[in-house]
Amino acid sequence: MGRWPPAGNMAKGFFSRFTSARPKQISVFDGQDLKRAVLAGQAWLEQHREAINALNVFPVPDGDTGTNMTLTMRAATKEIADSAETSASAIAAIFSRGALMGARGNSGVILSQILRGLSKGLEGKTTFTAVDFAAALQESARLAYSAVIKPVEGTILTVIRDAAEAARQSAANGANLSAMLGDTVRAAQASVARTPDLLPTLKQAGVVDAGGQGLATILEGVWRYSRGESLTMSPREFREEVADAHHKGMVTVEEEFGYEVVFLLEGENLDVDTIRQTIIDMGGVSTVVAGDHTLLKVHTHTPTPGKILDYGVGLGSLQDINIENLQAQSLRYAADSARQHGLNATTGAETAAANGRGVGTAVAAPVVAPPAETPSTGEINTVAVAAGNGWVELFQSLGVSAIVPGGQTMNPSTQELLEAVQRCPSSKVILLPNNGNVIMSARQVPELVTGKEVYVIPSDSLPQGVGALLAFNFEADFPTNCQAMEQASKHVQTAEITQAVRTVQIDGINVTEGDIIGLVNNRLVTAGTDRQTVVRDTLTRMNVAQFEIVTLYSGENVNAAAADEMAQRIKEWFPAQEIEVVHGGQPYYDFIISAE
Amino acid sequence: MAVQIVVDSTADIPRDRARDLGIEVVPLTVMFGDQSFQDGVDLDGPAFYQKLSNSPVMPTTSTPPPALFEETYRRLIANGATGILSMHISGKLSGTFSAARQGAEAVTADTHVPIEVVDSDTVSGGFGLPAEMVAREARNGADLAALKAHAESLCSRVHVIAVLDTLEFLQRGGRIGRARAMVGTLLSVKPLIEVRAGQVLPLENVRTRSKALERMGQIVTALGELESLAIVASDSVVADQITAVAEGFWHGPIERFALGPVVGTHAGPGAGGIAAITRA
Repeated sequence: MGRWPPAGNMAKGFFSRFTSARPKQISVFDGQDLKRAVLAGQAWLEQHREAINALNVFPVPDGDTGTNMTLTMRAATKEIADSAETSASAIAAIFSRGALMGARGNSGVILSQILRGLSKGLEGKTTFTAVDFAAALQESARLAYSAVIKPVEGTILTVIRDAAEAARQSAANGANLSAMLGDTVRAAQASVARTPDLLPTLKQAGVVDAGGQGLATILEGVWRYSRGESLTMSPREFREEVADAHHKGMVTVEEEFGYEVVFLLEGENLDVDTIRQTIIDMGGVSTVVAGDHTLLKVHTHTPTPGKILDYGVGLGSLQDINIENLQAQSLRYAADSARQHGLNATTGAETAAANGRGVGTAVAAPVVAPPAETPSTGEINTVAVAAGNGWVELFQSLGVSAIVPGGQTMNPSTQELLEAVQRCPSSKVILLPNNGNVIMSARQVPELVTGKEVYVIPSDSLPQGVGALLAFNFEADFPTNCQAMEQASKHVQTAEITQAVRTVQIDGINVTEGDIIGLVNNRLVTAGTDRQTVVRDTLTRMNVAQFEIVTLYSGENVNAAAADEMAQRIKEWFPAQEIEVVHGGQPYYDFIISAE
Repeated sequence: MAVQIVVDSTADIPRDRARDLGIEVVPLTVMFGDQSFQDGVDLDGPAFYQKLSNSPVMPTTSTPPPALFEETYRRLIANGATGILSMHISGKLSGTFSAARQGAEAVTADTHVPIEVVDSDTVSGGFGLPAEMVAREARNGADLAALKAHAESLCSRVHVIAVLDTLEFLQRGGRIGRARAMVGTLLSVKPLIEVRAGQVLPLENVRTRSKALERMGQIVTALGELESLAIVASDSVVADQITAVAEGFWHGPIERFALGPVVGTHAGPGAGGIAAITRA
């Protein structure tokens, strides 16, 4: 991949696989142009993903916006990449559907609505001009807003609206496609820069809105394509980009480990646990194996992808194989970045896992099937999103019909949720996203499902999901249960104890990367170096003394003795409360604590 | 002489009240290992729960033999009963109703005094309360057919909603209706149950006792207009808690039924609920 072409030499050379030599300043796009433009937007986003991920407001390991938008774009372009379709309308219909199904996280869902708007706007057009595209962007803005129940300004919504307005004016002034895209991108970037003025939490954290930045980045890729430009970024540009992401804090670009290998395995009598252990024994890191005995998804990081694939082939049929080299570029960038900050880049498997990269890559969704003897909840089925073996067991004991693996850092796609719901035997299904960043993709499901009535309880934490399921009334009908479960979930207070992934000051709390931090109902309340102190402060801020029962869900890295000891301390601090310890096994979060 | 009302001991009618109303109580049996007790006769509620918390073995229960019913009916007839209405715990939960019917058949084979044996399809105060109501009518001279019809009508309108401290006892005794999802041992919960159509059905699970009581109140309120209401509880502390809940929406008299040894064996300690009869 070449360096950025010097000015004046832009029209020729330095092409990625997404570009081909074509005249500058084109004014009409056909299907193939649209395809390459969207692929270019995706490629540009892929390159900026880490910088966008770094724009998290809260320093917690959660669903990264850059990753979610990238995976959504990958799902959108999967079916068009090899298409020879020449109609713009047909290409747009394909990527719109792909994005809808592959949307991950709230930003991914809004992005999918933006792409759907383009598709609607370009309906029936084999080619399109600046005026057509500007009109389609208006539709994108409209659909993006309508996808959100309570639209918030200073987000991707503001950026798409401002961009669409600039496109409209530019086209009205007679600009050709390329010039209009240039105006659109500049407006989007200016809009992104204004997001901290509209949303105070962004200003406090010293960042711009990540989703808005992601959109501006995609639009910029499209624009660059229209000018026949290269779509690769030099290490220097990348460095500056990352440095810009936090003008106050700093960002470490973590080393990626070898190759990321993702595939679906179809076979008979597949043993999930054995397969996971074998892959780990073969050197697989951050290994996720999920599914049932006939179909499962493998995701791992390994220096030797061939070994893993050979193993898989011996077990059954492999599909949707995706291998990516994680090391080559990011090692160089990390070293550069570390030098610049006088820091050693964090290395190794833990951090590769901790940045959540690639986990839950856009492939079809296997679902953890309940054991045969799991009791079913009568004529109403429930589907829950959960990560961690303890949580999976707990939700199964509560009678859920299916569990979609995911949560904090791996937000399942709309398609994964849809497939789990579709597999339920009942025609009435209650869906529990159990994470704030999964709620929007869950809300797509009722519209996409066929032959079923689906209700989404907007549970934004795992304990809220548990609270909802406990309220399931075996004798009540569907609407009554939906209402009762939603009510019950709202009454559950959730605290989370994790490690800060970056240095930030927010809500008057100074957080240093690596600190133990406490959140109550997704708001940061305390930070420190001593876990017990942080837990105590967090519970105090949660007003635990006003509740009756505290449930301590221990994470995958907390052993039973440590969990019991923490429970003992909590009992000392809050003697009037009942304390219960449950092994949750969730990644990244040492403790998830509920008060009821 | 009048129609005599007979119940089994799972009606949980306090002994002195049964005596005052002239209700004959036939006891079931509770066994702790080799030790056997007559429900409410030589083991009362407080003594039972005390024993339950100390005993290394879990109690079991058994139905009265048909001969005990036969003997009881014959004694009542000898004392002048012109008819007998015998009301019992749901036949889906216990063999008591069946034993009573066998006892009645033996008696009616050689006497002309009519005996009606009624399956209440419920338990504890759920049929204890209707039994008390018809016992008053029997004293006022109501005939057997009218009493039976009224008893059946009341039992068909009674709802028993209860909060348990744990599902453990109900599960151990196999008295939970329908193999449905119930919370295992992963989380402690206060299950809400309902006795309906003769079965014990799980309703929902609540993490804390106070919220469980609150939900019970909401569920009872949602039943509609009530004709009468009673409290069933394992002890007076639980009875007081539930009375406080009931007084939030019910202004009529509240009778109390103490969950005795047999029902307590299946409900466990700390259980309590409301038996509410909706208007016809």
